[in-house]
Amino acid sequence: MSELLAVENLEKYFPVTRGLIFQKEIAQVKAVDGVNFTLNAGETLGVVGESGCGKSTMARCIARLLEPTGGKIIFNGQDITHLGRKEMRPIRRDMMMVFQDPYASLNARKRVGAIIAEPLEVHQIGSDADRKRRVQELLEIVGLSPEHYNRFPHEFSGGQRQRIGIARALSINPKLIICDEPVSALDVSVQAQILNLLKDLQRDFDLTYIFIAHDLNVVRHVSDRVMVMYLGKPVETGSRTELYAAPKHPYSGALLSAVPIADPKLGRARKQIVLVGDVPSPINPPAACRFHPRCPRFVDGVCNVDEPVLTPVPGSTDHEFACHFPLERWPMGDDELRHEGAFSREAAPAAAVD
Amino acid sequence: MALLEVQDLHTRFRTDDGIVQAVSGVSFELDRGQTLGVVGESGSGKSVTFLSVMGLHDKRQAEMTGSVRFDNQEILGLSTNQLRHIRGKRIGMIFQDPMTSLNPVKKIGWQLEEAVLIHNDVPRSEARRRAIEVLEEVEIPKAETRVDDYAHQFSGGMRQRVMIAMALINQPEILIADEPTTALDVTTQAQILRLMEKLQEDHGMAIVMITHDLGVVAELADDVVVMYGGRIVESSKVDDLFVKPEMPYTWGLLGSLPRVDVDVERLEQIPGQPPSLLRPPRGCAFNPRCAYTFDRCREELPELRPAEGKNDHYFRCHLDEGDRARIWAEKQAAMAPAGAESAA
Repeated sequence: MSELLAVENLEKYFPVTRGLIFQKEIAQVKAVDGVNFTLNAGETLGVVGESGCGKSTMARCIARLLEPTGGKIIFNGQDITHLGRKEMRPIRRDMMMVFQDPYASLNARKRVGAIIAEPLEVHQIGSDADRKRRVQELLEIVGLSPEHYNRFPHEFSGGQRQRIGIARALSINPKLIICDEPVSALDVSVQAQILNLLKDLQRDFDLTYIFIAHDLNVVRHVSDRVMVMYLGKPVETGSRTELYAAPKHPYSGALLSAVPIADPKLGRARKQIVLVGDVPSPINPPAACRFHPRCPRFVDGVCNVDEPVLTPVPGSTDHEFACHFPLERWPMGDDELRHEGAFSREAAPAAAVD
Repeated sequence: MALLEVQDLHTRFRTDDGIVQAVSGVSFELDRGQTLGVVGESGSGKSVTFLSVMGLHDKRQAEMTGSVRFDNQEILGLSTNQLRHIRGKRIGMIFQDPMTSLNPVKKIGWQLEEAVLIHNDVPRSEARRRAIEVLEEVEIPKAETRVDDYAHQFSGGMRQRVMIAMALINQPEILIADEPTTALDVTTQAQILRLMEKLQEDHGMAIVMITHDLGVVAELADDVVVMYGGRIVESSKVDDLFVKPEMPYTWGLLGSLPRVDVDVERLEQIPGQPPSLLRPPRGCAFNPRCAYTFDRCREELPELRPAEGKNDHYFRCHLDEGDRARIWAEKQAAMAPAGAESAA
């Protein structure tokens, strides 16, 4: 498999300013602070983290909707980090986005046909008749009917709108599709339809995905590799199987254990880390390990002094984590949770018998 | 005698296009200290049912029949004035979107105090003391200063805590939570669910958890009601529903859930859309989307009947016991436990 995308040390800082006319920069929000990864053609990279961890900002930098502050983005062998608008244009043909909110991301005053054909028009592909044929074909591919061509977005349900968004992203045969929380706003049953559709399209059109979500169940289902982000930095990356079977970073463990399990007995029996509080402000992130104030395995004098770097798991090729005191087993043992905030739900008698 | 008894509830809305039958003959009971999970897709009637129970529909458009008995008193059809003594005091409600449910131009404390003052004859200072107390109870740090903040100064999870605080401030006997964690991160969702569990232990109130996520139900509920097309299609103890669900819609909901503990190559999807309540399909409302439909399903609405050998598990389906047992066994066999693929 060939490498489609390489991101090296990507940084995006937003200035915090004061004053109306002479805007003085008083601080920086380090929304993305040193992200590295490579993505092979045909692969899916899942990116997980809470709101405010910088996952969407990262996606927007890669799509060059935001200007990165530092680092490099190499797409298809070409450094695109600082390309101008004109130079970006041919590259945009290979890179599309699907957004979270299917209500806000479709122009309410345009017909579905025009919405899906827009990328074709922008890139001046085909004649009007060609485009119409292509749009009708796309409607069918994403599970809508060609008769929907002349309808408006408000005539569709949330799941159908997301299909329209996907058809638009597919219209110019991109190589990479960045999906930013594409199913978070949908019902479980509709979510399953969209996830299956994305998987089918990947198989049929050889697509590469960056799939951003906060739901680990969803990410696990679609991804080959997963990156867990916290406050602008990846804290753990690994193949889907390894990361879910043996997470090393306590934050990954916390996210994983927070997911509701659709099995009452399993759910009651397992140990859960419930993190206290919210993600701290990225304007003034905690020193050293950014996770230390919420970490169930925090050790004073180490975690708040020395910043851990991504280190590979012994014996693994691509599983890395940034933690001084990684989880030793999964599921966790009681001795591994040193601090308050983590607790295990009591095992019900029924669960103990099973 | 159960705390809340709903009998044969029907809710119809008059619209320009005709009558929308949003709820058709829903019956259930809720006891003190019990948690009832109500599951279904958007448009299944789950929210409308509880808005009807609370009398929150516009009477000019909605028409409700049946019976809703709360603490042995009929409350369906009571006037707004009479309901005022129950709503917000004895039955509290939390909505999905905490940002739109809070007043952006009033301090959190003012809004909490208002909830106290409406129902109790106490001075504002006492109401404020209650407000701080209840904020502490929902684990908002520095409650005595946060009480003077506005909604926008709180994060999503914190706002939802404020909403819970507001619903709890008069110590209601029932808390109705309509998708309280849908808009939240998983970590915050876990916090809120644990908090609700703890508050229930402390106060012994009954909780109604309305959600489309069977995972949330599995975590919190004692009993589950699955709704489809305005009707209850299955009801059971929570453990039993996940061990042996009895009808195709519930199978579909379970199969469409991506799970950390189960490996599947493809999620099961329920094809198509929820039914139009304006023109519901003939027979079983689920028949156009069901993989096991036969002639009878298109003609005759299945009755809610008990599962074989059980008196606390009801479902609607024409398939006979043998077929249902066989299909469910097949579906379970298709779900390999997580990690099996890495071992193979």
